Parts: sequence; C-alpha cells; structure tokens
Amino acid sequence: MGRSYFVDETVEKYLGGLLADPGSCVTGFLAGQSSPQRDFVVLAVQTPQRESEGQLKSSRGSGPLDDIDVEWVTEHARQVSRMLPGGLCILGLFLVTPPELSKDAQNTLKRLIFAMDKCISKGRLWELTEEDVTDRVTLHICSKTKKTVCKTLDVKDPKSSAKPADWKYQTCVSSSWPMLTCSVEVDLQIPLTGSSSDNTDKCMKDCLTRWAKQIEAGNCLISGRQALDDSELISAQKKNLKTTHRQTFPARILVSDPELDERSSALVQLCSGSVRVRGVVHCRAYIHNNKPKARHAVQAIKRDIINTVSSRVEMFLEDLLISEGSRKGLCTGQQALPRRVFAPMPFSGLSVCDYMFPDESTADVADRLKEMLDWETPEEDIDISLESNQLFSPELEMTDSHSDDSRKHVISEVQVENPHIHKAPQYYAGVAVAATIALLATATSLLYFSE
Amino acid sequence: MVYSEECAIIFRLKGILEFACQLDNPNGSQSQSTISKSFQGLRSKVSSKNIVFTVCNSPILIWPNTGFQSSMESLTEASACGDILQYIESDDGGSKKTLKKKDKKRSGHTVVNLKLLFEVTDPAGNEAPSLIRVDTQQHCVKMPLHLDCVLSVTTEESLASVCTGLVETLRKQLAEMEEVVQRYRKGSSFLVPQPFHFQLPEPAGLTTVIYPAGVPDSQLQAIREDLHRKFELPSDRPYLRRANAFHFPDVAYKDGYLRNPHIHLNPPNIEDAKLYLVQGVYIYHHYMQDRVDDDGWGCAYRSLQTICSWFQQQGYVETAVPTHTQIQQALVDVGDKEPRFVGSRQWIGSIEVQVVLNQLLGVTSKILFVSQGSELATKGRELANHFQTEGTPVMIGGGVLAHTILGVAWSENSGQIRFLILDPHYTGGEDLQTITDKGWCGWKGPEFWDQNAYYNLCLPQRPKTI
Repeated sequence: MGRSYFVDETVEKYLGGLLADPGSCVTGFLAGQSSPQRDFVVLAVQTPQRESEGQLKSSRGSGPLDDIDVEWVTEHARQVSRMLPGGLCILGLFLVTPPELSKDAQNTLKRLIFAMDKCISKGRLWELTEEDVTDRVTLHICSKTKKTVCKTLDVKDPKSSAKPADWKYQTCVSSSWPMLTCSVEVDLQIPLTGSSSDNTDKCMKDCLTRWAKQIEAGNCLISGRQALDDSELISAQKKNLKTTHRQTFPARILVSDPELDERSSALVQLCSGSVRVRGVVHCRAYIHNNKPKARHAVQAIKRDIINTVSSRVEMFLEDLLISEGSRKGLCTGQQALPRRVFAPMPFSGLSVCDYMFPDESTADVADRLKEMLDWETPEEDIDISLESNQLFSPELEMTDSHSDDSRKHVISEVQVENPHIHKAPQYYAGVAVAATIALLATATSLLYFSE
Repeated sequence: MVYSEECAIIFRLKGILEFACQLDNPNGSQSQSTISKSFQGLRSKVSSKNIVFTVCNSPILIWPNTGFQSSMESLTEASACGDILQYIESDDGGSKKTLKKKDKKRSGHTVVNLKLLFEVTDPAGNEAPSLIRVDTQQHCVKMPLHLDCVLSVTTEESLASVCTGLVETLRKQLAEMEEVVQRYRKGSSFLVPQPFHFQLPEPAGLTTVIYPAGVPDSQLQAIREDLHRKFELPSDRPYLRRANAFHFPDVAYKDGYLRNPHIHLNPPNIEDAKLYLVQGVYIYHHYMQDRVDDDGWGCAYRSLQTICSWFQQQGYVETAVPTHTQIQQALVDVGDKEPRFVGSRQWIGSIEVQVVLNQLLGVTSKILFVSQGSELATKGRELANHFQTEGTPVMIGGGVLAHTILGVAWSENSGQIRFLILDPHYTGGEDLQTITDKGWCGWKGPEFWDQNAYYNLCLPQRPKTI
C-alpha cells in the first residue's frame, strides 16, 4: 500500500508545458505538505538554467543523465525550501527524460533525492519526530509519451528500494487550507568564546539551537485556545463545508526560560565579545484541511518560527563570507538581517516568502522569484509591510518603569554599513558561479558542523 | 497542635528566569551597578504585559498585567479565586483520595500551583531582526533564578487581587535575590539565590527567605538571628533552617518514608484529657527497612533512628540518620562496647540510646526510670511537661521490648492516661493504612506495659540554638 499524492491541476499543466531540448533532461522539485495519511502537492518548479562556460557538457560524453548537476539541483531545492512558509516543504523531485533514458531515470532520481535531503536537512534546528513523513516522491515523465511513473523513497533508509505511489490530479487542492500567523519577538544574547570565525558560528548555532528547543517546548494557543491532546484544529461548529475564503488563525506562543542543570554558582565564561539578535519576525504556516489535528498546526507554525530566524542568520553569514571573502567574520556594531517579505505562490493561493537585504528593492525580489520559482510576480504583489526596516535602538533599554508603555523604539534609518557588492540574482547564476557554489557548499558544511 | 479552621488557599507560582549580564571587570566598581541593571531588567520583565500565569493541571491561562485577561470566559478579575479549583484536575486517584481529604482538613490548605510563562508573540513593534556585535572582552555570567512565590489567601479573594499580589511578590523576590547575589559575590563568582518557605507563627504566617546556594546553615547563623528578631521568634529553637522549610501538602516526599503517621489517628476519648504530642516532623523507622533484617533484635535501634530523624527534620543536624552499624560503631568509639559489637545482633537500651545521641548528634537526654510498668501510669505530668517543652520523641525500653512514645493524652484531674505509641516491630512496607488500622502507630492504655518489668525512658533534650 503506497502513499497517495493529491496534486493540484495547475501542477499538471506546468509539468505538461515544460520544454525539453530533444535528448536532454529536465529536473525540478515538487513542494507541498505531507500528512500521515496522504500528501498534497501544490507546486512544481524546474531547476533554473545554469549559465555555464562553454561546452562543458558535451565533452563529458556519458549522457545527459550523468550531466545532471546534482549539486545545482540540490542547491536550488535548498534555496527554495527557505522560501516556503511553515507546513510546506520540498516533497520530492521530478525528472523528464526522453524515452531512451527512461530505464536509468530511477537511479538518477534516487541519487538526487538522497543528495537533496542531506542538503536541506543541514542547518535545521529542529528534530524530526516519529510522525514526520520521511518518504520523498520521485516523478518520472517521459518527454515523448508523457507517461508518468510515481514512486517514493524513504530517506531514513538509504538501502530501501523505491515503492510505488499514487499520483492523482485534483482541482483547488489548497484553496481552503487554513493559515496560522504570528509575530514573534526574538532577543538572543550570544556570548562568543574564542576568537576565530568558526567559533563565532558555532556559538551562534548552539544558542539558536537552545532557543529553538525553547520554542518547541512552548505552549501554543490557536485562536485563544490551547492545543491539548488530540483535538482537531477546526472544531465541528466552526466547520463550513465549502468555504471560499481562507481562514486565518492567529497563534500565540508562551515559553519559559530553559531549565539549566542544578548549580550552586553561576556559569561564568570569559568571552571575546557577544552577538545579539533582536527583532520581530513575522511567521506563517499552512495546514491541509483534511481533518487536521491542532498539534500538527502547532508544529508547523513553531517550525516556521525557528526556520525563519535560522535562515536569515544563515543567509547573512553566507553573504558575509562571499562579500568579505576572508574569514574576517562579523564586524562590530549593528547590522540588519534580511527581512521577510511575502508574495503569492505560483498557481495556488498560498504564499511564499523571500528575504530582502537592506540595500535591495522589490525589483530584486521579483527577479529572484522569477529565477527560483519560474514565475513572474508583479512588484505590487510583494508584501514588504509585515516586517519593518527600522532597527531597534540598543541604548533604549532597562528602564525601571513598572510597565513597558514607555518603551519607544527609536526610528533610525537603516545604516548600510556593508553595501552588498552584488545583486541577489547574481548569487545564484552568473559568471564564475560554479566556483562560488562549490565554495558555498563547503562553507555551509563548515559553518554548520553537520555531524 | 492547633488545627486551623480557615479555608485558605495557597497560590504557589514557580518559574525560571535566566539572569545574564556581561562584566568588563568583575572586580571593578562598575560591576555592582551592571548587576543591578540586569536585575532591574528582570523586574521590568515580570511587570510587562508579556507574562502569563498558567494554572497547572488545568486549561487556565491568565495575563495578569494586561488589565487581567484570562483564557476562560467564566473567570474574570472579579471572580473569587476559589472558583479556580473546579477547573483543576487532581492527578492521583484511588485509595489515596480518602487520605488526601483528611490531610486537607488537617492542614486547612489547598495549594494551587501556577507556572510563570512569557509570551513571545504580540510584540510591541515590528522591526525586523538585526545583529549587534560587541567586541570587547567580557565575563559573561548566566544563572537560572528559580522563582518560587507564595500567596496565602481566603477563597473569597478576587482573582485580580491574587494576580496583582503575585506580581508584586515576584518583584519583591527578585529584589531580595539581588541583595543575596550582591552580598555573596566575590569577583566573578556568583552564588545562586534560592527561595525557601517557612510556616512561621502568626502574624508572619507563610514567609519566604532567600538563601545562597552552597552556603551551609551553620554559616548563616547571623542571618537567622536577624530574622528571628524581625519576626519575633523564640531565640532558642530553629525555625529558619533549610530543613524547617514548609512542606507543601501536595508534594510527595522523595525518600518513600512515612512521616508523622500519628496525625491520621483520632485522639482517645477521655473526659477532660489534654493532648501533649511530639512537635514537628519525624520519620517512622521500623524492622526490615532499608533491606536490613533486624527482626527480633533491632527495635531500640529503630526507635533511636526515629529520634535521630526528628533532629534532622527540625534542622538541628545535617547528618543522615545513622545505620545499625554506625550506631554500634559510635558505642565502640566511646568505649561503651567492645569492637566485636559492631556487626552483631545485640540489643541496646535507653542508656545506649542516650550515649549515641550524644556521640553522633551532640544531643543530651534525660533518663527516667520506673521500677514497675504499672508506675508508668503515674508519669503523666512528667511526660506532658516533656512534650510541651522539648516535644521530642521518647524511647522506652524494658521487659524485652523497646518502643517510641510520641505523646500522651492525660487528664490532670482524673489522672487517666493514654500513650501514643510508635511501634518499631512492624515488618511490613510503608503502608499508612495498615500501620494505623493495625495499631503499629496507635493510642494504648497503661495495660500496654508489662506491669512487673522495669523500664528506662530516654527523653532527648532540644539544643538551645536557632
């Protein structure tokens, strides 16, 4: 009994419209939501073209399947997974091949799936639970006959073989999916022990991991009620069978400071400095509407909170590495992290997000969305209002007033201390990017010390 | 022991707040004000609108600082705080329930446990995050503050005033913690402040004191003297040692022993008799405990253990209750017994009990001798006086048996007397029901004693110390 994938019709149209050069292959990812009983696919995007130098490909000669740049495909998937709000993730990959390569397609898909999963799960600050689905879908399409073969692979078990799965098209898969939102205040004080950049990154990761655990352990209220036991998200009385609009549920998160081990004295460390991450992040999560459980919705929004903070710190550090080039690391003072903006997802009514650096504009975001999601987004559809680009003033602190009404945030213009030399699209494609991507892949693995 | 008739609720709010600060120079003059600033920040935090009280074992959430919001529509700021009780699920059932009811009647306290949480959503602004890096060498100090606030109120008190009271108590506790931290800080060495609750005589009532972790009671004498003066407590018995901390009725003891089984008994029905009972807390020690098979020879040892437990529970000593071997060794050490006594199954009597109490605990005892068991009925006044002034358990040995006397019911007019006996010959498990039903702890008449045997009683004396 294999898994069932309920796929939006718009995905069918997209896949059908893909143009492949005769004899060559097209790769891409599939995104949506998994639930224990069934899976929903709402988005498919082909891997963007890589502008490579000259005739690298033809000289290899072993065939188009071997020419598939695994690193490039997985890197694309990794970048996009940052753009997906809570509840949604990359569910798998698709591969379009000419008929003569069909028999080798499964092997290629298996290689790609495992590489992609490894890439995406690096740097993740939360642990998978028993309920998380570890099956990833592979979809093979023959470019001539348009016949599709759908299988799943369990990424938990590299030795397992692919299992058959159902691939069914439906209309409006996600149109009534409820959305959870919240704005979360983050204030992390990270002491830095040691002086090298590696140490800084490790200290930051440790602190972020501890904070992520705090969020995971926190109480969550959805529309004012706690999600206890196995209750359903939408109670019977609130259920409208055919709601045309999407219900939005505000979420509230309550945490307690972590229980450190029993000590009779304080922990004192000699630090070379400290880093503070402070601000408000806007979070969003979607949950399918097939009798969703409240606790799954809670998990989705909590993971979005954790992901959005860790993603932008990661992006900031990656960007620093590229622009500074050396291991200089963070400079002193206050620097804005990229802020989150939302845009409509291709075809479905859900949203995707992107992160805008202080010196970028919505035009840059639109360019990036085109590149990553193969989709034209009018600039006015990009919502940049949810997170403001004003900075907290660190001096205005510690007032001894009884209430926090007196806490006013000083409006300061964003000081761009490190102007970004390159615009974002260049980050993913362009000249000499092959080398940069390789550096990035190594750097990312160094930065986050994957076990 | 007087039982309070008031219907009181104790609201107990616990939570952890992390104290953190960065010191450029821990020995410098600036550090004191830096630490103060951090504590000020924590006090602001508990006064902010982000704090939430959650009532344990219930779905109730309260935001005390936002004009009182609660997650339950039926609970408003004007509601009587006693209304909360109906929403709380008690987590033990079965046979324990009947005992719990009795306990509640005895102690007159219901405890409502609350946990302190902070809301991270619903922030004041929407500034996107930024990274602020500071490059100076600093000492980063981190310490968890285990907040534990109590508020004793009647059931009619409004919820709003309970919450305001708790927030105020939080602020006060943080201020007291700061004082302890500053006083005991040496450079970059900080001691964690820990709250202890004590049930003091009225009007003080349930009081909280902050002690620095790691500093033994013996070094906190001066602090206790100040507090004894402040609360007008007698200066010859301990009230504020850590061991004297109030035991909340809903918290189980971790060691599995029974304490004060006698409180579950009904006093004997003698006309115009007064009760004179042991004061404070003791542990019931008896045969076969701790996997030591002393059936038939260890009764006096067990009675001695019960007495030692009393001195430990009241805070006079910090050492653990001695084992049979340790008791025997003590007697060898003072020269009372030959070395081969250790490891033997020889009996001991009241004199040996007196010697060991002195040797191991520094406690002196009076010995009372009766030449015939029938004479014990005439010792009502002496025993009554003992329980009134010293209040310690009494070991009695004679015939072939040893017992512990926990109190007397004595009528001055008629001379009628009953003895509250704790019997160390019990070989079963820590089953309160059996122990009280079968009389292993029970009231006995004068016929309980062997009328012809002679008896020695060891009456331990309280050291005059605080």
